[in-house]
Amino acid sequence: MIFWEIAKRNIRIHLFRSSLAMLGIVIGVVAIASMGILGNTIMLMVSENMNDIGDSVIVSPHAGSGGMFGGGGVGTESLKITEQNFQQIKRAAAPNTAIPVLQTADRMKMGVGSDDIVASIYGLNPDDVPSLMKLSNGSYNRANSGCLVGATFAEDHNVKLGSRISIGTDGSKGTLRVTGIIEERGMSFDVMTDSAIVVTKDWFDTTYNREDYDSVVVKVNNIEEMDKVKTAIENQLNKREKIVDTLDTRKVMEAFTTSLGQVSTFVTAIGGISLIVAGVSILNIMMMSVTERIKEIGIMRSIGAQKKEVMSMFLYEAIILGVVGSAIGGIMSLLGGYAISAGMFKTTKYLFVPTTFITISYAISFGIIICVICGIYPAWRAANLNPIDALRHE
Amino acid sequence: MNDQPVMVFRDVVKVYPLPAGDVTALDGVSFQVDRGEFISVMGPSGSGKSTLLNLMGCLDTPTSGDIWIGGTRIGDMTDTELTSLRRDRIGFVFQYFNLFPLLNIIENVTFPMMLKTGKGVDPERGKEVLRAVLLDDKLFTHTPTELSGGQQQRVSVARALINNPDILLCDEPTGNLDSKTGDGIMDLMTDLNRKGTTIIMVTHDSHIAEYSRRTIRIADGRIVA
Repeated sequence: MIFWEIAKRNIRIHLFRSSLAMLGIVIGVVAIASMGILGNTIMLMVSENMNDIGDSVIVSPHAGSGGMFGGGGVGTESLKITEQNFQQIKRAAAPNTAIPVLQTADRMKMGVGSDDIVASIYGLNPDDVPSLMKLSNGSYNRANSGCLVGATFAEDHNVKLGSRISIGTDGSKGTLRVTGIIEERGMSFDVMTDSAIVVTKDWFDTTYNREDYDSVVVKVNNIEEMDKVKTAIENQLNKREKIVDTLDTRKVMEAFTTSLGQVSTFVTAIGGISLIVAGVSILNIMMMSVTERIKEIGIMRSIGAQKKEVMSMFLYEAIILGVVGSAIGGIMSLLGGYAISAGMFKTTKYLFVPTTFITISYAISFGIIICVICGIYPAWRAANLNPIDALRHE
Repeated sequence: MNDQPVMVFRDVVKVYPLPAGDVTALDGVSFQVDRGEFISVMGPSGSGKSTLLNLMGCLDTPTSGDIWIGGTRIGDMTDTELTSLRRDRIGFVFQYFNLFPLLNIIENVTFPMMLKTGKGVDPERGKEVLRAVLLDDKLFTHTPTELSGGQQQRVSVARALINNPDILLCDEPTGNLDSKTGDGIMDLMTDLNRKGTTIIMVTHDSHIAEYSRRTIRIADGRIVA
């Protein structure tokens, strides 16, 4: 096809100018694709971190009730779930597992000579622990003299299996031996163990003299029944007055990922603006090309080239610029995404997933479409030049 | 042999509407061109030669009157139809050669044929026509800027002949050449006419006009002789 050949040669003869136009497209595609890849990666990371707690209904005391003990207390200390409430929750949630959670914060020391720190302490029934968390090292603790520590806690305070932790000021509340390191759990709604220690419920009860719970985690076996379980708990406990708040972690996750997706889309759209700017540069260069070649267009038209053929010649130029620029941009965004993933997130496992390639395909398609759209007007103008005026043009 | 005239002008008027008032470039022009003729159109500057050439080349349509090219009336034709007519039945030779700098000689010559067929053409056909206009074989793959003016005009003639047109329209074909090279081009034209090609040539050079067998003289938009 002769017009395709002319388009190619014209780009080659004006290589510097064409390269600058393509550079704009490359930058635009990289901007869109990189933002998309970044958004996807964050979304996948968050989703994976949150996946483990996506099957829970978290039951906590109703914050606005003024306490569950006849309105006696006003501080957060008074907001607890009683054993009776727990039993009601357990019945309402059956056959799913209801796990009572005790929580406080206290001073502790890792060894002789080390500074006191304050960290969260969770009290859990040893039987419930495996269903809430996994260990990266060691074994689950069943004895009151042992404890589990979170991954960040262990790293920050150089705690290893067998290390001893003294609880309370100067170890006033006893010393516990570390039996296991909890696998990193990231952000979660049930128990945030990464910077905390987990002790047995009995030790917690005895040490802090507590009978009531801070929250109850209901592990739902069938995710489709989350709404049903949540409603059953609310119906059981909030009949007369609102005693507990329930949190469906899957819904929270969905809302979170939706918001994250919207932010990602917005940022990608900002990247898209750079592609539109690049499109304007394509329009400018194509207009220059038409102006420079008015006489040539006049000759073509006078010896029998139809309007659509002249138009196709300029559109081919726009398509070549778009396809080459977008393809380079696509490759560069994959390389850039690899560098960002490896540098920022220390992993590239979220990069080579279908969504990355879908994002790059969208960016490439958008780049090509912008180029074609911006090539239409100059091509139309070239095709509709009066052959007589074009022939006279100097 | 078809005896139908290749071109007929009947009472052709061309008026250009301008803000300062209408300008009548051609005023009731009538003539006929028979197959195999070699006609020169002469006239002073502003006489209407270019308008006449544009109408003969189907680049424009008349304000009134009728034009037939090979029996086809062009007055009511669409742009697409006029373009097809130019491509298939008219060959243009320009004063400044007007070859495409991005294409080599063979591609330049076969360009109108590619437009006609809509696909690539056998370069042998281009070579055949180039040899007919006496262009050296070793120049076939060069670009136009690598050729002399006379060589470029020979290529331009070859390009005009590639689709076997009814008429060869030449606009000052020697206007940009020295007299010796110009005579060479005119010898080529004469030879082509002898072999049956109908040629209409617009010129203001009376020496060049002597190569034709009939002269149409035009002044103030009218044929005067």
